Amino acid sequence: MAAAARWKPLVPWVSGVLLLLAALGLQSQLYSGQERTVTAIFMFVALAQAWNLLGGYAGYASFGQVVFFGIGGYFTAVAMTHWHLSFWTCLVLGGVVAALFGALIGMPLLRLRGHYFAIATLGVAEGIREVVTNLPGLTGGGAGITLPTVGDQATTAYLGNDGFYLLFLALAALAVLVSGLVAGSRAGYALRAIHQDEQAAAAMGVNTTRIKVLTFALSGLITGLVGATYAFQQVTIFPERLFDVDITVLMVVMVVIGGSGTVLGPLVGAVILQFLSEYLRQNYTSYHIFLLGAIIIVAVVLLPQGAVNYLRDARRTGEYSLLANVRRYRL
Amino acid sequence: MMLEVRKLSAGYGRVQVLWDIDLSVGEREIVALVGPNGAGKTTLLRTLSGVIRMRGGTAEFRGRSLGDRSIEQIVDLGIAHVPEGRRLFAGLTVRANLLLGGWRTKNTDLDRVIELFPPLEPRLEQVAGSLSGGEQQMCAIARGLMSQPELMMIDELSLGLAPLIVDEILARLPDIAAAGTSVLLVEQDVDAALSVAERAYVLETGQVTLSGKAGVLLADKRIQESYLGIA
Repeated sequence: MAAAARWKPLVPWVSGVLLLLAALGLQSQLYSGQERTVTAIFMFVALAQAWNLLGGYAGYASFGQVVFFGIGGYFTAVAMTHWHLSFWTCLVLGGVVAALFGALIGMPLLRLRGHYFAIATLGVAEGIREVVTNLPGLTGGGAGITLPTVGDQATTAYLGNDGFYLLFLALAALAVLVSGLVAGSRAGYALRAIHQDEQAAAAMGVNTTRIKVLTFALSGLITGLVGATYAFQQVTIFPERLFDVDITVLMVVMVVIGGSGTVLGPLVGAVILQFLSEYLRQNYTSYHIFLLGAIIIVAVVLLPQGAVNYLRDARRTGEYSLLANVRRYRL
Repeated sequence: MMLEVRKLSAGYGRVQVLWDIDLSVGEREIVALVGPNGAGKTTLLRTLSGVIRMRGGTAEFRGRSLGDRSIEQIVDLGIAHVPEGRRLFAGLTVRANLLLGGWRTKNTDLDRVIELFPPLEPRLEQVAGSLSGGEQQMCAIARGLMSQPELMMIDELSLGLAPLIVDEILARLPDIAAAGTSVLLVEQDVDAALSVAERAYVLETGQVTLSGKAGVLLADKRIQESYLGIA
């Protein structure tokens, strides 16, 4: 018992490393179509984890999260095309620019709560998309922009399916790691306290504004890195795709289905939803969106607290009935 | 005296609640503040911890004025406020609640408060909302102590608790005071408050109407009639 307790803190690290090794080993077993599907799963794991930092732990649901994705992507596109920077430089700078943007809009917007914060962030994302669309000299406008990946103009060789698989896997691992570190840190306690009762958290002496802004910036950093990588992968990008509100919605749904405010939840939610979506697309092509929507609705009704939290509660109480679960969480 | 309040007045909007309050708390002392509903007891604590701005008079803690300091600065001076209704983070574990209490001072040593309130130990990993009322009050006081304050103000300790539990928690206050944290206790249960306090103030409609040694007040005819139901 004592020995088991001593090893318990190592369990997440060991399973994380094993999962990472399994993902690396899996690569050689996949043909290229499957490889792209799994790459997309990695991308959404990173995005969902990034959203969860503020939306899950602190309860500040950003509905404009895609703005960081778009900023990271468009920064990369513009910097590679016009300023001839290498992709790797753009990747880092794109993340930093997204983080700075997060801090900048966070300072006013994080004074709003609940629906007001959600609506304000949504507005910012839509606004930035319009700005990008209306700067054709720089961004190509609505016609899109094509990154230099071949010939003399190419600053960095295209990574190909294998390269992007590894890069997105690295980003997903980074996002899970960051989430895990935040969860166990002083900042993690503060964020969860803010979620529970922001005034009481302030009365404990937590500088709530500062920690919210920093977390929003961190969330923006990861999302920006993913956006930058996505832009390079797609080669040609358009404002409608890079600032697509659907991407935000997917992040939110993945976190909610998996279990918000946990490290495992966004990971589980992203894998389940992305896998399910792909499966339905291949097998029920004509009505896959309809089926996916129905499944999401059922899942949210039956597991309002998310899969991970449901299993944790059920294991503790021995109550596995979904009906009892619905009763517990629905007023 | 550690805390010196002179001619303090405060209120909400156009309504003045407190009128010329004089009050003091000494080193390692337990002072009770009693009185009927609406007398201004909670308002006084909220004014001292900086939630409400004072309108007149002075309040000094170790010679430093509280009037022009923010809530965080007052926490830094060494004053902890255990609010009415406990205001725990109900969805967080007891451990997380206690660690948040030590946020400002970066105190993570739970042993001392566990020693004071042993029932909390088996509850450390449980969410605070699932504790009994008595355990929640212990958790709230323990959370206040985590900032290692020199003065702790406890509002309505007995709220919603069985008398036996109230006595059990009150019995810990002398230990807390002896260890260097003075206590300013707001209480409606006058008998219980005066049994543990050294001195007490009676607050009625925003003014201090009586003050003195707890033992003397307990024997006072006016107190017995108004608060103890002894004719």
